[in-house]
Amino acid sequence: MPGQHKILVIDDEQLMRDGCERILSKNGLSVIQAENGEAGLAVLDKAPDEIDLILLDLMMPGMSGFEVLEKIRTLDEDLLVIVVTGYATVESAVEAMKKGAYDFIAKPFTPDQLRIVVKRALERRQLQREADFLRLERERSLRDVATEKSRVKTIINCIGDGMIVCDRDSCVVLANPAASRMLAIPETHLLGKFVSQSGLPGELSKTMEESLRAGDSPYTSISQELAVGGKQEIFLRAHTAPVRNDLGEIMGVVTVLQDISYLKELDKMKSEFIAMVAHELRAPIATVEQQLAVILGNMAGELNEKQEQLIARAKERTKGLLVLIKDLLDLSKIEAGKMIQYREPMSLAEVIPRVVEVMKADAAQKDIEIAFVPPPTNSIIHADRNSMEAVFNNLISNAIKFTPAGGQITISLGEQTGFVKAIVTDTGIGIKSEDIPRIFDKFYRVKSSATRQIVGTGLGLSIVKNIVEAHHGSISVQSEEGKGTTFSVLLPKEAAPAGCAENGWDS
Amino acid sequence: MGSLLHIAPRSGRLPGRRVLLKAGRMTMGARILVVDDDPDMVEATTIILKSKGYDVSAAFGGIEGLEKAKAERPALIVLDVMMPDKDGYEVCKELKADPALCDIPVLLLTAVVSHISTTRYSHRMGMETEADDYVDKPVEPAELVKRIETLLSRQ
Repeated sequence: MPGQHKILVIDDEQLMRDGCERILSKNGLSVIQAENGEAGLAVLDKAPDEIDLILLDLMMPGMSGFEVLEKIRTLDEDLLVIVVTGYATVESAVEAMKKGAYDFIAKPFTPDQLRIVVKRALERRQLQREADFLRLERERSLRDVATEKSRVKTIINCIGDGMIVCDRDSCVVLANPAASRMLAIPETHLLGKFVSQSGLPGELSKTMEESLRAGDSPYTSISQELAVGGKQEIFLRAHTAPVRNDLGEIMGVVTVLQDISYLKELDKMKSEFIAMVAHELRAPIATVEQQLAVILGNMAGELNEKQEQLIARAKERTKGLLVLIKDLLDLSKIEAGKMIQYREPMSLAEVIPRVVEVMKADAAQKDIEIAFVPPPTNSIIHADRNSMEAVFNNLISNAIKFTPAGGQITISLGEQTGFVKAIVTDTGIGIKSEDIPRIFDKFYRVKSSATRQIVGTGLGLSIVKNIVEAHHGSISVQSEEGKGTTFSVLLPKEAAPAGCAENGWDS
Repeated sequence: MGSLLHIAPRSGRLPGRRVLLKAGRMTMGARILVVDDDPDMVEATTIILKSKGYDVSAAFGGIEGLEKAKAERPALIVLDVMMPDKDGYEVCKELKADPALCDIPVLLLTAVVSHISTTRYSHRMGMETEADDYVDKPVEPAELVKRIETLLSRQ
């Protein structure tokens, strides 16, 4: 038994008290003696919680055992009392039991009899304590659950993110104030309504209902952006996920709404800032380059060889700056979703030759031959013309940059199961296999002795990838160092075939 | 390598506009009005054109450009797009709406777009404006002169 149990022996006979102490202390129990009722009650009064069991003699001079028993019961009704009866009458024992004694033992008793009675009582005391403990524990847990519920409710009601929960019948069972504020729908209009009839934005209620039907499919959460009208349009990001029980069955759907208007605003400001800076930079740099071109053309006096060399270098630098600005503008337009606005049916077979024509002068300077292999059939894609030009401009100008003099660049067009496939191949320096995964990253440039002299912004391929992916296409690259590089662009074919010959470019 | 298509030279002209090349026509000495709010750009353009023997007159804004066009009736106008008082598209529209000025060829000079996106303008703006040709700033002097000669020889 844990701890040392304390037993109070109340008996007027010194011999009895000592005898009990001797017997019980052998069992590791500690005994406190009291020679009469008053003394016993005084001990209890001083330390009521320390006594585990009382051995009480019924027949004592002064305060009788029954009186002491009654007092003890009023003091602590859980205290166990074993009455010791001098002349073993069943009546007094029964009466004592009626008054709340736990057990009785008749004098004279053997040490073993005492031990058995005491042991039983102490076990009972232990059980009682454990039961008390469990009862308290349970009460506390119940209280905790209740507190937890209200705590969670308070948290959900206080958080800045909106939260909507619907049950498996797509009935809204929870909507916090933030959600109703963001959606401008009163909470009472949401609660208890079907998702589809609660006034939630159509895309959102559709997503929630789809999530309910997600079944066993492993998809976890859907994220979407919503523009919510009203006097002032706000932008929300909604994360929707099914709520499952232990068995993995869908019990409902939870949607968390975040107000991302300020992010949108920041993003717009960033794009506008970049565009503004780029425009502001572009005009003076264009003027400087124009002035350099005039000087270089000997129109402001004859240049000596050194001067010409320096001015030519300066002009190369301004050219590089203008390309950087153009790329920044393109990228900020793509990121703002403005680059790809005018989609129309078109054929790459007319876009690519135009780009090739523009690039020819640059290629000729390096003695590189550019060839376009026309496709067997004229496939139509649905795309933004300017973006497509930017794609092939970047790919071809890259090919020119990374192909040594005397090389060859070939652009071919074909088809591949529902896609139009454009291939740009060069006989250039190639790309190291470890660089290939990163070449589409913003501002990434392959660094080697071979590329040191090549100017670029590291934005071109990032722009290309962005555009191609915005058109639901893909781009891949194959390269062998020293042999050349091939970029393959796949773009979805437009379903309805249409003639595109009379688009106005060919006269 | 199979049959390779080599691309025919691009012309900046607009769809449907007829090209009437009158070979040997003298364009030297013709008056050209340069309209640009950036004086340094005006100076550079002027030097290029003067070096080819053109008579150059300058205006430093859209409104001034229109006035000078009316007063001087130049043989050709080199017109900047981005100008604070009246932009190039607006000036061009007014020129083409004026029966007395509508036959003066207009070469639009833009710093807005890069060389490849020129087609954006040929496509979007070219249709909307009635400029006869367009070229990006900065432009190689030889290219500028070539474009001007082409426009003048159409007349």
